[in-house]
Amino acid sequence: MADDPVDVLIIGAGAAGAAFAWSLADTRMQILCLEQGDWMDPAQYPGARSDWESRQLSDFGLSPNMRGRREDYPVNDSNSPIAASMFSAVGGSTILYAAHFPRFHPSDFRTRTLDGVGDDWPLDYQRLAPYYDVNAHMMGVSGLGGDPAYPTKEVPLPPVALGKLGETLARGFNTLGWHWWPSDSAITTREHEGRAPCVNAGTCLLGCPQGAKASTDITYWPPALRQGVTLKTRCRVREITVGATGMADGVIYYDRDGVEQRQRAHVVVVACNGIGTPRLLLNSRSSQFPDGLANRSGLVGKNLMFHPYAMVTGVFDEPLEGYKGPTGCCIMSQEFYESDPARGFVRGYSFEILRGFGPVSTALWGMSVGRVPSGADHHRAYADLFDRTAGMVVICEDLPEPENCVTIDPHLTDSDGIPAPKVTYRLSDNSTKMLAHSVARGCEVLQAAGATDTEVASPLPFAGWHLMGTARMGTDPERSVVNEWGRCHDVRNLFIIDGSIFVTAAAVNPTNTIQALALHIADTMKRNLANLFD
Amino acid sequence: MSDDPGDGRFPEQHVRTLDRVLDEIIPPSEDGRLPGAGEIGLVQHIEAALRPMPELRVMIEQSLAALDDLARQRHDRPFAALAKAERAALVKELESTHHALPPILTMYVYTGYYMHPRVLETLGLEARPPHPKGFDMPPNDLSLLDPVRARGKRYRD
Repeated sequence: MADDPVDVLIIGAGAAGAAFAWSLADTRMQILCLEQGDWMDPAQYPGARSDWESRQLSDFGLSPNMRGRREDYPVNDSNSPIAASMFSAVGGSTILYAAHFPRFHPSDFRTRTLDGVGDDWPLDYQRLAPYYDVNAHMMGVSGLGGDPAYPTKEVPLPPVALGKLGETLARGFNTLGWHWWPSDSAITTREHEGRAPCVNAGTCLLGCPQGAKASTDITYWPPALRQGVTLKTRCRVREITVGATGMADGVIYYDRDGVEQRQRAHVVVVACNGIGTPRLLLNSRSSQFPDGLANRSGLVGKNLMFHPYAMVTGVFDEPLEGYKGPTGCCIMSQEFYESDPARGFVRGYSFEILRGFGPVSTALWGMSVGRVPSGADHHRAYADLFDRTAGMVVICEDLPEPENCVTIDPHLTDSDGIPAPKVTYRLSDNSTKMLAHSVARGCEVLQAAGATDTEVASPLPFAGWHLMGTARMGTDPERSVVNEWGRCHDVRNLFIIDGSIFVTAAAVNPTNTIQALALHIADTMKRNLANLFD
Repeated sequence: MSDDPGDGRFPEQHVRTLDRVLDEIIPPSEDGRLPGAGEIGLVQHIEAALRPMPELRVMIEQSLAALDDLARQRHDRPFAALAKAERAALVKELESTHHALPPILTMYVYTGYYMHPRVLETLGLEARPPHPKGFDMPPNDLSLLDPVRARGKRYRD
């Protein structure tokens, strides 16, 4: 019957929701996932079209505020130097991410103990390591074992092509005696579980028509659906409802025709990530939870962490063939990852080497930094840049601060009229010092690699890809929203499984850890089914 | 505007002016190998890019009309009929008025120009989408990692 409750209702079909659904499917419980976006058609991704580079300025742009898609929700980020970026579809933001797939380090889970900042997580690296291994196989991770910046770990596929650009930069790191290693990438470099290998097309950020980049619509969802999970698309949840006992009893959502619907559930699982999750909880007010669902701690929406990014671009005399290869994945360096008090800040950062610019991006980037004018000097200036740039980004660890937060915007709504999120964020003094240190070192290594000139953008204003910390985990209900396996302290049949439960942010891309956490939570639920709400 | 042909297209008199303006933004290369932006039919690309932003298209039309007015005032001919040096001088003069061409026009010109097959081939690239053919890349030289391995463990337990 239409009004029958499902056993488990998952909200969001992105990185976390897909991994969780796949793991829980073998219980044969009735599992339903509601996703506000739709299935993407990889054959329609821009990489297979001649206008591919221009699409980053329109329907495949970074910001949901500029894409104009009905499925996305707007974000008021006018009070933040970093604009939030996410994508609503089956696969979520993995559709457009770069697929850089590093793990967190052991020290990332113990920042309070080791460095006196942030908080320790209620679990450690060893607890997550088996789930990182499962995820490496399911997503198809390429890389190289033996990285001295990590404990021994499983990497199923050989590394992506470094190319002339990557090896040029590697020599620069070697000149300075600094750490570097081929990036762990969720990109297949040979056939893997029915997925074709990467052909180095360089269009990763616009969706991968080859299917080599691991988005969860092509990794976790097909086996989850085969095992009986139900996925309904274009269903946008407005609020989670609670019954008289204070337990979650379902959701109210709008279907693809904008018609309000009700779905009851015994267990509700939220997988909307660091902005979408607090938005949903804060929109779910009731007499029992007047400040938002599961928010008796007052911490829902607080402690938003991006990773402050900087971009350093080197200009070289020689062609680097930088338009070839996975856009964001090449090599990375963690020379400055662990804390060193002599640097004047705590915690650290990673360098990730990007590729060069394509023909259009060269012109637009050159225009933005004043290197490619219009008029008589245009062609000479363009020739000096095209295929002669190598970019790197710096990912700085962000620390949790309650002033950095997600709230509900009083005016802005999505296309169904649901109140939209507002981001309030400022760079901390620690982040500012770390960014300054990192761009100086970035310029140094690019010059060691042969760059004749460098350009710096810091902080990178459009780089709000990583959304973390807004419903943190912990053992103390006064100081956290969920426990060590994602169950809300205040609502025992409500689970959160995405980046919002991060306690700290580390200085690496979070998707691998989001999925390892989702798998850990699913596994823990399966082991505790008999007393899940005790 | 009264003579707007609809569907987000520029009226014919503005198309002629715009083609010349495009050549001011990206002129032909001195060796003649690369075309000017006005030679390769970018008007349609710009019209398509501006379709979601009709207010911006109106701004550009006002700039083009102002350029034509200036041309007739200074030289008694339409902008499209002027010599190159005369056109350049008028575009520069327009920059100091409230009808200056919006900088975003340059962005759309650059975008359309560097997607054009003739331009890509002249730059030594194949004029095709990156997928499905992709690009061949050489095998990795992982001996470059020898000094990194030699330095040993770099993480804290």
